[in-house]
Amino acid sequence: MPLWLREESWHQTPAAVYFSLPLRGARATSDCIFCSEQYLKVSIPPFLFEAVLYAPIDETNSTARIGNGNIFFTLYKKEPAMWDSLTLANADKEKLQYLRENAVLKAQEKAKEEMEAKRITKQEHKKYALEATMKLEEAERKRIEDLKEKERQKVTKELELWKKQQKDGDKYKSIPKKGELHQEIEPLKERKNEQMNKTRIPSEGASKTSLKSTKGCSSSIFSQNLMEEQLPAPRAAATIKVNFTPRVFPTALRESRVAEEEEWLHKQAEARRIINSDLSELEDLKEEEKNPDWLKDKGNKIFAMGDYLGAVNAYNLAVRLNSSLPLLYLNRAACHLKLRNLHKAIEDSSKALELLTPPVPDNETARVKAHVRRGTAFCQLELYTEGLQDYEAALKIDPRNKNIENDAEKIRQLIQGTMQSS
Amino acid sequence: SAAAGPERPQLVSHVQQALSYTLFDCKWVPRSARLLCLGSAARGTGLIQLYELHGARLELLREIEKPKPIKCGTFGATSLQQRYLATGDFDGNLNIWNLEAPEIPVYSVKGHKEIINSIDGVGGLGVGEGAPEIVTGSRDGTVKVWDPRQKDTPVANMEPVQGESKRDCWTVAFGNAYNQEERVVCAGYDNGDIKLFDLKTMSLRWETNIKNGVCSVEFDRKDINMNKLVATSLEGKFHVFDMRTQHPTKGFASVSEKAQKSTIWQVRHLPQNRDIFMTSGGSGSLHLWKYEYPAQRSKKDSEGSEMGVAGSVSLLQNVTLSTQPISSLDWSPDKKGLCVCGAFDQTVRVLIVTKLNKI
Repeated sequence: MPLWLREESWHQTPAAVYFSLPLRGARATSDCIFCSEQYLKVSIPPFLFEAVLYAPIDETNSTARIGNGNIFFTLYKKEPAMWDSLTLANADKEKLQYLRENAVLKAQEKAKEEMEAKRITKQEHKKYALEATMKLEEAERKRIEDLKEKERQKVTKELELWKKQQKDGDKYKSIPKKGELHQEIEPLKERKNEQMNKTRIPSEGASKTSLKSTKGCSSSIFSQNLMEEQLPAPRAAATIKVNFTPRVFPTALRESRVAEEEEWLHKQAEARRIINSDLSELEDLKEEEKNPDWLKDKGNKIFAMGDYLGAVNAYNLAVRLNSSLPLLYLNRAACHLKLRNLHKAIEDSSKALELLTPPVPDNETARVKAHVRRGTAFCQLELYTEGLQDYEAALKIDPRNKNIENDAEKIRQLIQGTMQSS
Repeated sequence: SAAAGPERPQLVSHVQQALSYTLFDCKWVPRSARLLCLGSAARGTGLIQLYELHGARLELLREIEKPKPIKCGTFGATSLQQRYLATGDFDGNLNIWNLEAPEIPVYSVKGHKEIINSIDGVGGLGVGEGAPEIVTGSRDGTVKVWDPRQKDTPVANMEPVQGESKRDCWTVAFGNAYNQEERVVCAGYDNGDIKLFDLKTMSLRWETNIKNGVCSVEFDRKDINMNKLVATSLEGKFHVFDMRTQHPTKGFASVSEKAQKSTIWQVRHLPQNRDIFMTSGGSGSLHLWKYEYPAQRSKKDSEGSEMGVAGSVSLLQNVTLSTQPISSLDWSPDKKGLCVCGAFDQTVRVLIVTKLNKI
């Protein structure tokens, strides 16, 4: 139950109501005061003051001043009239409740409206700022453009002036030039006039044979290009042999492509090496014997007939031709098992498993076989734990295989047996 | 950024002209406001167009059609009066044309078995000394030097050793022509080889490999004791070699720069300032660079041999003009800052570079 606060003296004018609320020692802040059109509440736990006002007030303009242990309220009436009392006399509980809720709702609405208004003003400010920046940038751009344009015009004017000078100069030169072209005699400069009489060197015409550098006796109707007299003779022809930095590719060299190109060349070299090595050592093999798959099948047949060594040979050859076929190692492992070459069997099974990555449903059977064969080899070497590991791996791939299960069980017994005895 | 500074040179686009054929090379006609465009028409013939700069546009003065597409041209070996154009075409023919009477070439030779990729001329235009010579580099792996006074046979032939497979020669340049005897030819190949041939001694003077196909080589000046050589390549790189000091094993010192991701098609030095050059790129951009010399251009190594010290390169300005590679570039020898460039978007553009005096 809150402690009710009661207001003290109140007085009024036609426009406003004034009263003060003693706080009985409680400290008040602006949050504690809640005011709506007809409802006023001050809540400072555990104190509470509530009033349903006689008539509506204008709560936006009304004020409350906190000080001296009091809150002094100034409430402006909506309708100028004298109130009979500060609060509604017969405010029953329901009306009170209704008014309270209403007040709260109204307050919320107001808050929303205020927020909305704030948001709109903010947006407008942003827009304004944006427009201002755009204008500034535009002005800057224009300024630069104008500078450039001015430069251009200045430069164009200069160019025109220069051109005029050129033209005038040219006219002077071209007139004698044109005239003499008809006679195919070139214009002579004044200072060369003296030399004109010294010697005559036949000059190169369009279809004449090559110039002899010595003073030719045959006179020529063609011009005396006196420049030539001061020029050295054409060089004695010679050849310089050139070696290029070697490059395999016909395309141009680019630094960024060098890595790719190296890789490609490497692969080519690999392929060639394999082919070459076979060619050199196994020249007497028949065509089919160079095919790893054919050799694998042959090996399988030989194995079936019980010739384990022969099968191994076939598989060896196949591996030399193509070292990345897992089945070759798998089958060779089987041979080694039969031949009791247990270490080799382990090696080959391991190699097969390596090549059988990634482990996918497609190579399940092969992997099972590999694990089983390796497991068997381990067990025969009395490395039962390792063997069990392989059997369990095989079971994991193929849980429904009864044989593997039985064998695994046997091995477990063996292990337990040895543990017990040791 | 480079574009904003008011003191930096600006690359101002002056005129743009759309063409109806593939443009491979563009050159200013010396002593004039005229330029040439060389290329290949859609029907597989060669085109030479002569334009004149009039205000803000280019006026077509002449159009000359030839049987084979033309890849490159130069005025380098011709006198100022004659201004004959030497061209290399897709068939390996070297021709020298008098543009006033272009029906029959002044000189013609089937110099190579395959396309002539690059051509350069020296000894003409009143620049340098010595015989006028033209060098051509071809896909057939050979570099040949021609004298217009000698028909049919080159005066120098740099060809692969017997039995060796050939590499595409992509670019050639003359240099070191400071007196009547001295001359070198620099050639760049598609396997990254750069070879320097000395024509006086008829020998290979230096070679190196820059790990990317060499698109363009140029000396900063043809007619001086060789000073700097710029070589541009695929993958956006270029190298500046200091050619004043050759070390017996290490060759020439160099500095390299990676300007962009795409091929740098051309490098051209400003005729009026040999330390400024422009590179054009596969992304349609032009970059203007300045080379700064180091405090000491050479030093002694541990054995006491002289070796060169490379300086540094700084970017002055860049601009992107096109979406297609700018494959050709030429500075006007007469007006500082005026240059023409041709791109594979079939457009020829005239640019003016401003504020070059302030550098």
